[in-house]
Amino acid sequence: MITPPGEGGIGAVRIAGPEASAIVEKIFCPAGDEKEPHRPFHMYYGHIMDKRGDVIDEVTLVEMPEGKSYTGQRQAEIFCHGGQFVLRRILREILGYGIRSAEPGEFTRRAFLSGRIDLARAEAVADLIASKTEYAYSTARKNLLGLLTEGVDTIRDKSINLLAEIEASVDYPEEGIEATTKDKMLAELDHIIKEAKRLIDTYRSGKIIKEGFRIAIAGRPNAGKSSLFNLLLNQNRAIVAPIPGTTRDYLTEWIDLEGIAVSITDTAGLRKSSGIIERAGQKSARGILNNSDLILWLIDITRKGWQKEAVKDLKKMPQKIDILLLYNKVDKVKDISKVPLFSGLDATAGMAISCLTKRGLEHLRKELIRRINAGMPDLTDQLVVTSERHKRKLELALKFFKRARIGIGKTLSPELIAFEMRQGINEIDEITGRIYNEEILDRIFSRFCIGK
Amino acid sequence: MKHFDFDIIVVGGGHAGVEAALAGSRMGKKVALVSMDRTKLALMSCNPAIGGLGKSQIVKEIDALGGLMGRAIDATGIQFRKLNLSRGPAVWSTRAQADRIGYNEFVCRFVEADQNITIIEGTAGAFLTEGDKIAGIELESEERIFAPAVIVCSGTFLGGLIHIGQKQIPAGRRGEKGAYKLSESFRALGFEIGRLKTGTPPRLDGRTIDYSRCEEQPGEIPVPFFSYATEGREFNQVPCHLTYTTDKTKGIILRNLLLSPMFSGQIKSRGPRYCPSIEDKIYRFADKPRHQIFLEPEGNGTDEVYPNGFSTSLPEDVQYEAIRSVIGLEEAKITKPGYAIEYDYCPAYQIKASLETRRLEGLFLAGQINGTSGYEEAAGQGLMAGINAALKINDQPPLILDRGEAYIGVMIDDLITHSTTEPYRMFTSRAEYRLGLREDNARDRLFSHANKYGLISDDDFGQFEKIRISTDKEISRLRKTSVPVSRLDGLAKHFVKRENVSLAELLKVPGVTPRDIIPYLDSSLESHGSGLEVLERAAIYIRYEGYIKKQEREIEKFRKMEGECIPEEISFESISGLRNEAREKFVRFRPNSLGQASRIEGVTTGDLAVLSIYIKRFGRRADDIKKPE
Repeated sequence: MITPPGEGGIGAVRIAGPEASAIVEKIFCPAGDEKEPHRPFHMYYGHIMDKRGDVIDEVTLVEMPEGKSYTGQRQAEIFCHGGQFVLRRILREILGYGIRSAEPGEFTRRAFLSGRIDLARAEAVADLIASKTEYAYSTARKNLLGLLTEGVDTIRDKSINLLAEIEASVDYPEEGIEATTKDKMLAELDHIIKEAKRLIDTYRSGKIIKEGFRIAIAGRPNAGKSSLFNLLLNQNRAIVAPIPGTTRDYLTEWIDLEGIAVSITDTAGLRKSSGIIERAGQKSARGILNNSDLILWLIDITRKGWQKEAVKDLKKMPQKIDILLLYNKVDKVKDISKVPLFSGLDATAGMAISCLTKRGLEHLRKELIRRINAGMPDLTDQLVVTSERHKRKLELALKFFKRARIGIGKTLSPELIAFEMRQGINEIDEITGRIYNEEILDRIFSRFCIGK
Repeated sequence: MKHFDFDIIVVGGGHAGVEAALAGSRMGKKVALVSMDRTKLALMSCNPAIGGLGKSQIVKEIDALGGLMGRAIDATGIQFRKLNLSRGPAVWSTRAQADRIGYNEFVCRFVEADQNITIIEGTAGAFLTEGDKIAGIELESEERIFAPAVIVCSGTFLGGLIHIGQKQIPAGRRGEKGAYKLSESFRALGFEIGRLKTGTPPRLDGRTIDYSRCEEQPGEIPVPFFSYATEGREFNQVPCHLTYTTDKTKGIILRNLLLSPMFSGQIKSRGPRYCPSIEDKIYRFADKPRHQIFLEPEGNGTDEVYPNGFSTSLPEDVQYEAIRSVIGLEEAKITKPGYAIEYDYCPAYQIKASLETRRLEGLFLAGQINGTSGYEEAAGQGLMAGINAALKINDQPPLILDRGEAYIGVMIDDLITHSTTEPYRMFTSRAEYRLGLREDNARDRLFSHANKYGLISDDDFGQFEKIRISTDKEISRLRKTSVPVSRLDGLAKHFVKRENVSLAELLKVPGVTPRDIIPYLDSSLESHGSGLEVLERAAIYIRYEGYIKKQEREIEKFRKMEGECIPEEISFESISGLRNEAREKFVRFRPNSLGQASRIEGVTTGDLAVLSIYIKRFGRRADDIKKPE
């Protein structure tokens, strides 16, 4: 079944494998005097019949030949009425002929196994289906079209060219091959390194595009975290009460902020004395803070001595994560300019809001959008790495290319530089799932006149 | 039981055939060596040299497996050099100019003296079989010889056809007839036979060369010999000379291009890209103003000179004109014209890693018949075929060297996983684990195999064990011994802010040689029970240490994939979900492990995943069947 469960106008069933046509023969009865409903990409109208000859449903059917279908295998697709029961009956009929139901993702896996798409593109299919926002959709689509493969292959191609030059000079020491000068090699390698770095750098945005931007709301108990949470979601999701420790577990919800999926997590307030459950909640809150892209640190400015507390609290916050200070409950003070705001920090690092009167909230929303978009790529044509696996492979490759670069600088012997280059290329090949062997020699022979 | 005349018949007495016969003999087998002319064993049909990049490593491996090539060139070489010394030890390569006749005579004497080898003069005409096993051969003279194992090393003689311009001469080598019946016998047995091409330059009369206009390349002292067994030899090294083609050469060749059978379409088979003819070089690299030509002496007792880099099949008069346009060769006389030769080969998907054919049990192939070129490549295969034929007769599993332990292993694995598109030559870049496959450690890698099969004497093995132990001792001494930086003179600049450095650290500095550190040793090499050889071994180990460890991890991964065996009874045809291209490749090459499958050209990771799943299922099914009810 390739349509989701539930009711719908149309339901679709896909049969993939060499036996697909044979199954169609058995279950499909074409209308009219059509005898052989197997013309590729030709839509046939008819009925699915069970073994007794009873009609299960009226359907349309299309067959695709090997090499020209999604999976790369011979394939038949049946479009029936979209009821759960109808679909199940048809499936049961098909399974009765010794056909197995596909596992999740199996059709795409087969497309990869049949060589129709490479690994990077197979992964993009999953991303495309899972994409929830414009950004996610757009990058997944580009990777599916092979943009990532192309970008990675550019690096690979340059690396193999450089390797071929090194190898030619190693294997033909007497040929007087115009030994590539150190400067030229360095320049080429710098180019490769720069390109790899650029791709790796896109991962920060890539991750946000794919997994969303994660905002955690944190602060002392009763600072108004859950109120802010509800306001940002535009619904009363969290229980709000003027009792410290109301939120014991965390709550996460997703919103779409201008095309980017943003998750907002309301955490338990951090304080010392509390019960077992609350302490457990606080412990998980720490984990959430560490994994977020932005922390909104909420401060109740009506509370005495909040400045001192804030200094202490902020010292315990994760170092690398952006923090935005929010001074809540400004409705309780007459003149905000007279409140001695947090002196230890630049005033722009904080914003005054009121969850009660919604003052400053529109401003906050704009600030969030600004921060999320900072560093986001222009989506028109730029390649973005969205997979952790791809980023890791690129980083490993980069490590080897950098070693090769250091080696060239130190006049390390070329077989060792080649060793690093080869390892780097291997890592890159793992992104697209490709193997190389004779390529280096092919390049040597096509570029140099050698042969003693 | 059938009566056999011999244990092994070796067809062909070139570099492959000789090593095959000697290896069989060393393993105690009675060997018949069938050659058209018993005085022409191991003759160098092309350049008078042994070794070079990737090739010298093979020679050292042959040597460590008890073969003859290294000792033969050591005894008859007239110039020895070590290439790539400015690079690391993994790509150092020894190359020697041979006395062509001296080398051939040395090998003839050696083989004639071997009690286990009978040389039979004749030409193999057909295979004798019994079911799907080989039973012997029939000579063209109709004489029949019976043996349970036959090794064919036919070189360029199988269906050989020489081209010089439009002239075509059936021959196995200049002035010698070829073998024209055996290919039919191969085909009748169902083998696919293809054609390959190679070429050789004209030979020159050295007395007509103006060497004053060429650059001299002297030999090296001390002489870098090939064999571990060679103790030394007194001789005068003969220089080679380097010269260049000119604009005139280019003009002559381009004008006459269509007279070359390679360009006229007379030759359709593929020649080697790494050893192109001069016409090919000038045509393909038209913007290159000149090409190097090395003038190599063919021996002490002759004035003949081999102009390396001038391989050609142009008509004789054009060869003359072109040769005389080369600097220093303006007055040169050609003693023998260059030619191209086409010959039959047997695409190597038809053999297993043991070099035995899949189709006919007991039939082994080695050398050019498997699509390789080069004396060293041929000899390496001949040696392995000889060993494996003997093991086959003993009912023992074959000796298969893997890519992690020998260039010979790399070569055979390449042959059986790739379609031949040109004659195969070894390069160091073909060996992905080359940092560990060095000239200096051939014995470390292969001596235990050699010892196991009796290919070397116990004495040699014992001697080497001593060297290994003292190498280890020397390595730990070099790590422990430190010198004050103040004593280092010029090298001190590498160790700023340091008081002492260990000798091991010192050896890792680019450009520092083992000889440089001798003055800093706490006691002399001799009193420490080692010598210069041991010190050099220790130094190489230290220099590569970190890399080798990384590489060993890769070799481990590689061996794991090699260990994922594909059962022989598997039918690749019936694997569903496999791409047609992959299925065809698997059916053709019949990989015996997942690792081997991964190296077959055009096979993708997707194909491997399908194959891997199938093997696992297959294994489970096999278990089910085996399980008692």
